[in-house]
Amino acid sequence: MSADVLVSARGLGKSYPQVFRPRDRLRALWRLLRGVPDANATVVLRDVDLQVRRGESLGLIGENGAGKSTLLKLLTGVLTPTTGAVSVHGRVGALLELGAGFHPEYSGRDNIAMSAALYGLTAQEMRERFDEIVAFADIGHYIDEPVKHYSSGMVVRLGFAVVAALRPDLLITDEVLAVGDESFQRKCVRWMEEYLDAGGTLILVSHSMYHVQKLCRHACWLRHGAVAAYGDVFDVTQSYLAYHEAKFAAPAERAEARNVQGLEFHLLDLRLNGVGQDTPLLVEFASTLRVEIVVHSRDGRVPVIVVGVARVDGTPVYGVSTEMDGVQPAGENATTFRIEVEFPQLTLLPGSYIVKAHPLDSEGVRLFDTIERPLTIRGSSRELGLVRLTHTWHNVASPRLRGVSGG
Amino acid sequence: MSALALTTHFVRREIRNRYLGSFSGGLWALIQPLIQLAVYGFVWIYVFRMRIPGEGAPGIVPFLALGVWPWNAFSESLVRATTAVQDNAALIGKIALPREILVLSSVASSFLLHGVGFCAILAVFWLRGTPLHLLGVPLAAALFLQLFVLALGFALLFAAIQVFVRDLGQTLAQLMPLWMFAGPVLYPRDYLPERFRGWLDWNPFTFYPEALRDALLGYGSAGTPWIVATVIALAVLALGYGVFRRLSPHFEDFL
Repeated sequence: MSADVLVSARGLGKSYPQVFRPRDRLRALWRLLRGVPDANATVVLRDVDLQVRRGESLGLIGENGAGKSTLLKLLTGVLTPTTGAVSVHGRVGALLELGAGFHPEYSGRDNIAMSAALYGLTAQEMRERFDEIVAFADIGHYIDEPVKHYSSGMVVRLGFAVVAALRPDLLITDEVLAVGDESFQRKCVRWMEEYLDAGGTLILVSHSMYHVQKLCRHACWLRHGAVAAYGDVFDVTQSYLAYHEAKFAAPAERAEARNVQGLEFHLLDLRLNGVGQDTPLLVEFASTLRVEIVVHSRDGRVPVIVVGVARVDGTPVYGVSTEMDGVQPAGENATTFRIEVEFPQLTLLPGSYIVKAHPLDSEGVRLFDTIERPLTIRGSSRELGLVRLTHTWHNVASPRLRGVSGG
Repeated sequence: MSALALTTHFVRREIRNRYLGSFSGGLWALIQPLIQLAVYGFVWIYVFRMRIPGEGAPGIVPFLALGVWPWNAFSESLVRATTAVQDNAALIGKIALPREILVLSSVASSFLLHGVGFCAILAVFWLRGTPLHLLGVPLAAALFLQLFVLALGFALLFAAIQVFVRDLGQTLAQLMPLWMFAGPVLYPRDYLPERFRGWLDWNPFTFYPEALRDALLGYGSAGTPWIVATVIALAVLALGYGVFRRLSPHFEDFL
């Protein structure tokens, strides 16, 4: 139903004018008065298409400077887009910066009234909800003191209380909530869960993939002002994490290539589930991974073979050798050996990994060669870390009070 | 509706901002023009030995008062409103609100304060037996309203340009006295040599003290017909609003 689309953006773009000298400002003024578009502007966001439906929260991820805040400002109407258009239906609550719109000289009460008016609450609604706001903020006698005497946590409490009382159709926020103390954070999280359970919609900017996956159904990854990936939250966050890991690992990789032909042992082939190319192999979480290794042995001696899995950034996850398990690769002919190892029900958590193989000499001492193959595990698990450890919960309350959200 | 509520909030805040922490509070709005009036009155009566020419001419003090109050409302609202957008940069960068409201509430609070002061001084004159035309009071109110429209037009224009050219606000504050002396605020038009008298009509403010004196004191007459002044005020408002609307989507980029 198109009526339930809360936010829709088409071809959204934003560029800032390049203003260095006072003269540029004058020129810009004259240009804008005549309605001539700016030829040399800095593009910070281009061609963003978004659609957020009621109840379908969106996570915005990306590196610093990728344009996330600019996009949020465009969505809240603080900034005017250079190209494209945004339409937002329903009441929007924005929790972006600490105490936006609070005046430091005024008391908490005055600021509540002002910021409620700024968010479009009518005087009538304001009167009805005032006590609710004061109770939610729960900052005691500070409510009558000027906001400049507040701690940053208290400012957040007040800001959150106002937005909570707005009962927004769409809540736009970033990680400001991390500022409050433990009990207030719990209150916020509880409010947020109730809000989402009641069909509320959220646009969240976060660097915590955990939060994004927990709270959002869709995600949008911004890179250098453009959408790098947009869609299901697990797909997008995983490719974002993979991008980061690969970026981190990139400098170390180059030293690897060296001539191994003519060594005592070298790898002829490494196949994952029968596939031999260098493109990442996509494997569903908890399915089977088969690794096939073919080694050339110059002198016909039987090699020891090591197979390992590491995260893209190089963190080792698991490694095992034929010698440890007391097996030997079978000879195909006098100088070629082949072995296959199977990992049934792979418990690697969704993300990007590298499968490595090395041949060692028969004594298992010298390492001769390395082949790596990228591997991507797909899945929608929100577990943390690298692998799933077998576990069982005990002492569990029998009837579950709250269903798994989104489930 | 919500824009109106928001404007009310901003006007209230603006008025409180001006007097926050001052002892005399809102009374200052009345005291300051009174001191001004006393100074001008003293200089005009005892130093320059000036008299208002003509049969049945009003005393110099009521004459000055009808120039000083509208001028204060007009000039103060322009000077303050010119930086209204720039001063609220922090707010504009964080919350989506119609920016016109910032200018509107700045002009409105100046007119509100000086309007109250004006009523008070009229009451004082009336109690002291100055012959005031009470029938002219509604006319005076209408004139003040029209002056508000003119001021709002200029304020929108200046506030928008100020975002781009920061010198405007300071220049304007310096030029205000010149603007005042280029109009019959502190002197009647008749004081000017014959050939300069017509020049005053180029000043859009000239109409207001002249028309107010005509309405309330029965002294003189406005050099411009009321309808022309109305058209000018509306034209300035249209121009100011047009420029403001055109530039306001880009404010955030230049603040």
